[in-house]
Amino acid sequence: MNVASRLPDSSAAALADRPMQTAKPPFLGFGLGLRHQHYDEILNGNPDIDWFEVISENYMIPGGQPLRTLDLIRERYPVVMHGVSLSIASTAPPNFEYLQGLKDLARRVEPKWISDHLCWTGVHGKNLHDLLPIPYTSEALDHVVSRVQLVQDFLGRALVLENVSTYVQFNNSEMTEWEFLSELSRRSGCWLLFDINNVYVSAFNHGYDPLTFLNGIPADRVVQFHMAGHSHMGTHIIDTHDHPVCEDVWDLYVAALKRFGRVSTMIERDDNIPPLAELLEEVNRTREIADKVLPAAGTHVG
Amino acid sequence: MSNSSEMSDFARQQAEFQRGILDGDDTVLSEILDSPREKRDTLFGVYRYAYGSRLVDAMRNDHELLHLYLGDEMFDEMGHAYVKARPSEHPNLRWFSQGLPDFLKSAEPYSNHPVLSDLAALEKALNDAFDAKEGPVVDLSGMAGFSPEAWPDLEFVPHPSAFRLDLVTNASAVWLALKSEETPPDAAVLEEPARLLIWRQDTTPMFRELSAEEAMMWDEAANGVPFGVLCEMLATYDDPDGAAARGAGYLHGWITSQLLTGVSTGA
Repeated sequence: MNVASRLPDSSAAALADRPMQTAKPPFLGFGLGLRHQHYDEILNGNPDIDWFEVISENYMIPGGQPLRTLDLIRERYPVVMHGVSLSIASTAPPNFEYLQGLKDLARRVEPKWISDHLCWTGVHGKNLHDLLPIPYTSEALDHVVSRVQLVQDFLGRALVLENVSTYVQFNNSEMTEWEFLSELSRRSGCWLLFDINNVYVSAFNHGYDPLTFLNGIPADRVVQFHMAGHSHMGTHIIDTHDHPVCEDVWDLYVAALKRFGRVSTMIERDDNIPPLAELLEEVNRTREIADKVLPAAGTHVG
Repeated sequence: MSNSSEMSDFARQQAEFQRGILDGDDTVLSEILDSPREKRDTLFGVYRYAYGSRLVDAMRNDHELLHLYLGDEMFDEMGHAYVKARPSEHPNLRWFSQGLPDFLKSAEPYSNHPVLSDLAALEKALNDAFDAKEGPVVDLSGMAGFSPEAWPDLEFVPHPSAFRLDLVTNASAVWLALKSEETPPDAAVLEEPARLLIWRQDTTPMFRELSAEEAMMWDEAANGVPFGVLCEMLATYDDPDGAAARGAGYLHGWITSQLLTGVSTGA
């Protein structure tokens, strides 16, 4: 008996578009990236932050203080998991050990959603720990769509994917980054994390208008904004996430609110971590601007 | 998926991009565009620079005192040599510097200074204890339930965070001096190795030095040797009449330091 002939055609299943139909994640309000420097202040002070985003890999560890702290924070605040190592666009086979670790952490944290980046981090067994760019080709799109579908099936939930800051463009790209992201979201059912700083950085580096990018993204697929700072090198901008949000990015935030409406927003600082109070001012500014731009939508949670 | 046996354009391009970062190979530049304001090699250079610098930063973070000991310049030179010798193969940056003690022990010129490998090994052990698996902690009241007759059969399970480390140098004295911002002693190879026990007490990584006798008892206890036999073994190290009392003393210290996760009367 030929068992294989009775099984579903897995290669066809992998190639066919199967957009995961999931309810749009809820609006969480105005949040902050959780950093260990602020653990005590958060737990002792219950600051007025609507939600926290945590770096998944920081908690994909056996035990100890980070996980215990996360357990306490998730009891008080909604939490979103944000990864940096999914490497969804890598042509190397997926790392199932990593995916299982991510799934185990999600079981513990019960995040509102799980996000990572549209990028790759390495091939041939190496990990470069960077968010590396891809060519925007139909071959790459087919590949990433099939990977997103696989990961969504594995995790049992829709992914949220973020646009990264890029410094180079490939000469074989056949479409724009926003066309690629839109198609990816439409075909796989993944949601989008719109990093406003990254749009600004990539637009400057490649010489296009950030508003063109913004207007090229379908309004109903964006479930989160990132706001962050960067380092300007004159001829290009490096996405260092170690500065306050600059005025140009605040302006772009206004435009993003007008296009995408009420979207969960957070301040993402990865390096040169200032006191919590300083970041709270930026969180408050995201809220104040949203209140002004969208007075009727109601930007308060609950 | 289709054509998995033949390398796709996308896969080839990623392999070349990676080689460009890891090995300085410029092949991928022919597929990259200049930007309106900048040349492609400068732009690709952002990835080249970020790669090494991010990994060395992670090493600085994991090895704060080794960094302090070596200073910025020497630490970075060492860090880049490590990055070159042992590219990361784990998706989580947390595990990148795990091979550093071994690298410092085997690669010149660092291998000529064994205190470096020892210092890195001590920091690694403390980092590992910090986020080691959770486990129950045996307390003194938990011992009260065992009758005196049961004691010889008691077996002990170390806490998952507990780790034994032997150092050939005075790296623990160097560590303590650096930690308290004092001038570290001159590095020295010890006459006999220092036997350290590293573990996590509540959330804090700890270490202390053990006598040869206590180290022997700990190692054998961790191997599942019961208390009665441990006391017989202790009797061969020092005054046989005091062996049981010494064994009980060590055990008391382990329990109050949260070093044990299980005590039972064996199978």
